[in-house]
Amino acid sequence: MEDKKISEQESLLLIQEMIGKAKSHFHESGGSSILWGSVIGTCGLVSYFQEEFRFSIGFDIWILTLVAILPGIWINIRASKRRSVKTYAQSATDVVWNVFGISIVCLVLYGNIVPSASQHLFSSDNIELLQRNTLTGEIKNYRPSALSLSSIFLIIYAFPTLATGWITGFKPMTIGSIICYAFFVMSLFTPFKYDMLLSGFAGIGNWLIPGLILNSRYRKVKSAHV
Amino acid sequence: MFKDLDPILHSQLRLAVVSLLIGVKEAEFTFLKEKTNSTAGNLSVQIQKLKDAGYIDVVKQFKNNYPQTICKITPQGISAFEEYVKNLQAYLGQSK
Repeated sequence: MEDKKISEQESLLLIQEMIGKAKSHFHESGGSSILWGSVIGTCGLVSYFQEEFRFSIGFDIWILTLVAILPGIWINIRASKRRSVKTYAQSATDVVWNVFGISIVCLVLYGNIVPSASQHLFSSDNIELLQRNTLTGEIKNYRPSALSLSSIFLIIYAFPTLATGWITGFKPMTIGSIICYAFFVMSLFTPFKYDMLLSGFAGIGNWLIPGLILNSRYRKVKSAHV
Repeated sequence: MFKDLDPILHSQLRLAVVSLLIGVKEAEFTFLKEKTNSTAGNLSVQIQKLKDAGYIDVVKQFKNNYPQTICKITPQGISAFEEYVKNLQAYLGQSK
């Protein structure tokens, strides 16, 4: 392309062509989606199998989500360094995912702090919560916590994925998030072990599969430019 | 009577650069070079002309020890582009 005068018709075609090129520029590798999809998928499925087959791996598998934070940050920094263009949609989705990260940390804090904090608050009011086994009649202390907290996690998992799918028009993420919302509805009626199974499937459907699709597109575009 | 088309924008490469920048928040020089299929020297000259007209902001910095040039359209550039497209549509509409 040169610095030359063009006709009015050519100008219009050029504007359309360049706007189309900017719009179709594609460079998301899906690294974060693959990482989080693998981690949440593994944690959910391992938790389910431990409950179903009555065994323990000796540590809380969900610790992997904390371990994954550092490689997650590294992937994000590397991806943003590689970007040669920043679109408005990307800026919006970056904000959505940062808010998601903050929300997840808050929810983990909520799940870990609320039971003991509530117990202390009740006891300061001279109230003790008890639970009774209707079969054996056994009475035990009850630590209040959010019932089916994993259902709330499923809503949070679906939120950034739907927002990203909607903003960018990337259908696998929109479909993944709808599946995640369906799992949320199912989890309202299922016991804990099936909530874990649904969480595992949500990680795979919501992030891992869309991430792998993104990665395959990214590789195709990259190889076309080599 | 039609208004004359903005001479700054009515040039193939400058119009291509502004059309690319209108849809994004900011873009690197390498992105503009790749999409416009232009030479680095020619693109630098046209970017400087757009900058002098106040249509784009140019930030030069270093990334991994390499110089990096980031371009961003200004509000003045957006207005000029909108006016250019309006005049272009009026012209093409009349000539049909």
